[in-house]
Amino acid sequence: MKKQLAFYIDAKRCIGCFTCAMACKNQYHQESGVIWRDVYELKEEIYPHRERAFYSLACNHCENPTCLNVCPVVAYYKREADGVVVHEQDKCIGCGNCIRSCPYGAPRYNPVLKRAEKCSFCWQRLDDDRKPACVLSCPTEALQIVDLAEFDEANAVQYPAGFPRYPSLNPSVRFRLPAMPKMIRRKL
Amino acid sequence: MDKRDAESVKQAIGCPMSRRKFLRCLAAAGALAAMPGGLLRSFDAKAGKIIYEGDYEIYRNACPRNCYDTCSIKSYVKDGVLQFIEGAKESTFTDGGLCVKGYAYTRRPYSPDRIKYPMIQDGRGSGNWRRISWDEAMDMIAKKLVEINDKDDSMLGLGLTKYSGNFGITNYAVEGMMTSLGYTTRLVGTPCWPAGIDAQNYDLGDMWCNDPEDMVNSRYIILWGANPAWNSVHTMKYIYAAQDRGAKVVCIDPVFTQTAAKADVYWQVDTSMDGALALGMARHILDKGLFDKAWVEENSVGFNEFADYLRNEITVQWASEKSGIPQQQIVEVAEEFAAAKPATIWIGYGLQRHVNGGATVRSIDALAAMTGNVGKTGGGARYGHMRTWGFNYHALLQKRPEGAKGFLGGKGPKGDFDFSGDEEAEYTDRALNINKTAEMLLTADDPPIRVLWISCKNVLSQDFDRPRMLEAFKKPELIVSVEQFFTQTVELSDIVLPVTTLFEESTINASYWHYWLSVNEQGIKPMYEAKSNTEIAAALSARMNKLKPGSCTFPTEVDTRQWMIKEFNQDIYDLFGIDSWQDLKKGPAKAKMHPASWHDLEFGTPSKKYEFRSDLCAQHGHQALPKFKAARKPYDKLRLLTPHTKFGIHSQFINIDWMEEFNKKPYCYLHPTAASERGITDGDQVRVFNKVGEVELEVKLTQNVPADVVMMYEAWFRNNAYNCQNVVDDTSSDMGKYKTGAPGVAIHDQFADVEKV
Ligand code: SF4
Ligand code: SF4
Ligand code: SF4
Repeated sequence: MKKQLAFYIDAKRCIGCFTCAMACKNQYHQESGVIWRDVYELKEEIYPHRERAFYSLACNHCENPTCLNVCPVVAYYKREADGVVVHEQDKCIGCGNCIRSCPYGAPRYNPVLKRAEKCSFCWQRLDDDRKPACVLSCPTEALQIVDLAEFDEANAVQYPAGFPRYPSLNPSVRFRLPAMPKMIRRKL
Repeated sequence: MDKRDAESVKQAIGCPMSRRKFLRCLAAAGALAAMPGGLLRSFDAKAGKIIYEGDYEIYRNACPRNCYDTCSIKSYVKDGVLQFIEGAKESTFTDGGLCVKGYAYTRRPYSPDRIKYPMIQDGRGSGNWRRISWDEAMDMIAKKLVEINDKDDSMLGLGLTKYSGNFGITNYAVEGMMTSLGYTTRLVGTPCWPAGIDAQNYDLGDMWCNDPEDMVNSRYIILWGANPAWNSVHTMKYIYAAQDRGAKVVCIDPVFTQTAAKADVYWQVDTSMDGALALGMARHILDKGLFDKAWVEENSVGFNEFADYLRNEITVQWASEKSGIPQQQIVEVAEEFAAAKPATIWIGYGLQRHVNGGATVRSIDALAAMTGNVGKTGGGARYGHMRTWGFNYHALLQKRPEGAKGFLGGKGPKGDFDFSGDEEAEYTDRALNINKTAEMLLTADDPPIRVLWISCKNVLSQDFDRPRMLEAFKKPELIVSVEQFFTQTVELSDIVLPVTTLFEESTINASYWHYWLSVNEQGIKPMYEAKSNTEIAAALSARMNKLKPGSCTFPTEVDTRQWMIKEFNQDIYDLFGIDSWQDLKKGPAKAKMHPASWHDLEFGTPSKKYEFRSDLCAQHGHQALPKFKAARKPYDKLRLLTPHTKFGIHSQFINIDWMEEFNKKPYCYLHPTAASERGITDGDQVRVFNKVGEVELEVKLTQNVPADVVMMYEAWFRNNAYNCQNVVDDTSSDMGKYKTGAPGVAIHDQFADVEKV
């Protein structure tokens, strides 16, 4: 298999602190309302405690990206070397096809430039031998980069509950599920 | 302030700046080069390669906002504009990262809401702000100070309230400025942690914690009333590392916190009954003979008396009834804790915010000590430390003007961050309890506080009994706030002076948790007309001396860089193994201290031993032994908890527009049972009310809180009048006066009810 970078989201370690999401803002100063990485709280059906388990999500840099496939002006390309899906904003005409087609909600509309934009995997940082801003920022190493060509983690899953299953896209992301402590509650 | 006023303020301070406008302004200023936004454009990998080193000027900064982590920051500046920041990789503690608040810093200097110029409000609270020049502002304040000095024949009519909004060492220039004007009135003490500080001083002789990085060596960790997942994110990795190496983590908290969700065992203790729990565990350990006999014999005093007290008055069953934790659980964890070597307890600041808080910390200390875990790596009763704070406090130490008169016979001001030492003088400053600011402002007389100076603090969002504070703020003749944003405190001030952010000034920062030291360099020029606290003091001094020569001894010219350098001394260099402060420009330095506090077992107590029985504690009006102390009686149906949010430190950061993307508005949290009893459903707008006042906000139902609790977070939103201090009174905790000058506040001994609106 070719090299394919992916985000590994270890929900067992993740503390839902939003540091990764803010580190992205710090790096790219997105327009108000435009968020590339967000931290999603798991519904109580998935984790029985409200606001206590999370998935930090951005673009999944899919193996077969629909954003790329539907773009009429070829504003997207997938990097040979590492599988990162890049959106070239200069070419974008703001038609919104990518935004509508991506089931993971990764491309966002920039209301000022009237164009789409999305997580770039910080490829300029990668090319400078730096971690993406979000990964560098994560205080618990809950967010990591892995290469799927070599990734071999028994507990990892690709489609945990709450994360849409789209095998045709084959999203480059893996998860570890959150755990729970033994709870001793007092009687009232 | 209603919406329209808020609008007029916005207009007065300049219109909000979008990113685009920000770029345009920078371009106009010739400052726009490669903004990070440039990354959005279509570069191919070759042409568009961003060169991270070399192309940017890189500065060192430090987060000064009263956070455990006190992160060391690397700032990337291009053409005079702060582009982005990262954590300093050199610090193993932060390891290249910051927290969600830290990363919002990049927006802070350029926030559209920043106060840009000195301003005056025509009619306190009216929202009618007008821009004035620094000269005019200083002139008005100086004239008023001369006037009150003439009237009272002292400067005691000038009151200062300052606390933890900026712990940069040079900010002690604010206190220095007060001293340089004469004897003034100081609001002293600290709201957050005084009961625990006193408790540890009685037991150990000081507050001194192990290096948090050494927690990886623990075999058993009890996180007691601490929520590092929100308040010390960088410590979490050490807890995880210990866990990965087989340590068990027990989290004890009335609330199922984010930290609790990561523990192996969570105990939902009844609020303020932590002391009972600790004593119950201690009794069981005693009965089973699992205590460290050799350690207590050699290193402590009063253990036998403590053991007698446990045998006579404490049972596991009693502890279980008090705390709500089943006996069998108490027994199990007590045995595991005693058997694991080393084991540690992190005593959070939450559990001592009670009328029995100091007593509680003492019983938890006792548990760590009797099991021989004090003085060991991977052990310790961890609370905080000030061992790396040995600066010169040059900014603080100013001479009084010739002939200054002050307060007779009283004790000079103190505070946990007061390093001025004991002064022997005929006069002293007048010290008032900062935790009862409303009452002090209303009742202080002869002279009353005529001029109130506020810096590094958002009094109206952080201090207690806000309804009374609103009254109290009517009393001073002049209120001056030094701020970056139009906080609720600024709304009730007469004059506001814009102050620099950390990127615009030079200072130094140490932590009260980890052992690292960071320098804070000025990386960008002050935005608009902002000045640092040191520069403000100098400006005021210049004006005072023009008006009345000799009336202020503060230097009239300062260079924040020079002042920062003046804070260093050889002891600091030696402690951190550096030759000059310049070395810190290469990265933060770690104190060359043993990772285990009290490793030499030379305690700072009168007996030089660990004191299960502290006569000093008894002399100060408490129990000599770490005995159980009763809780505050409920005065309403539900317990009210107002802890920190992960999106802010007290009232800071929450107002930044970047933060609002993720945290738009406040919520209160209620158990489904408590909600259904009141006909409340998820998402309802509710009123939280008690004898103090009321708050309205949206409710979220969750079993994360017990059924007898209502919880909401401490916060200040720029577009929302929410304020939890409307329903928190200023009842004191048991301890705190000994070391910080005033007892703490029983912040979590509050009660309220909730109804649907
Ligand atoms: S997650 Fe969406 S935007 Fe990202 S590569 Fe896949 S399809 Fe494209
Ligand atoms: S920074 Fe790490 S721990 Fe925090 S929300 Fe993101 S992934 Fe989770
Ligand atoms: S708030 Fe605390 S964790 Fe966040 S950057 Fe500042 S010191 Fe670090």
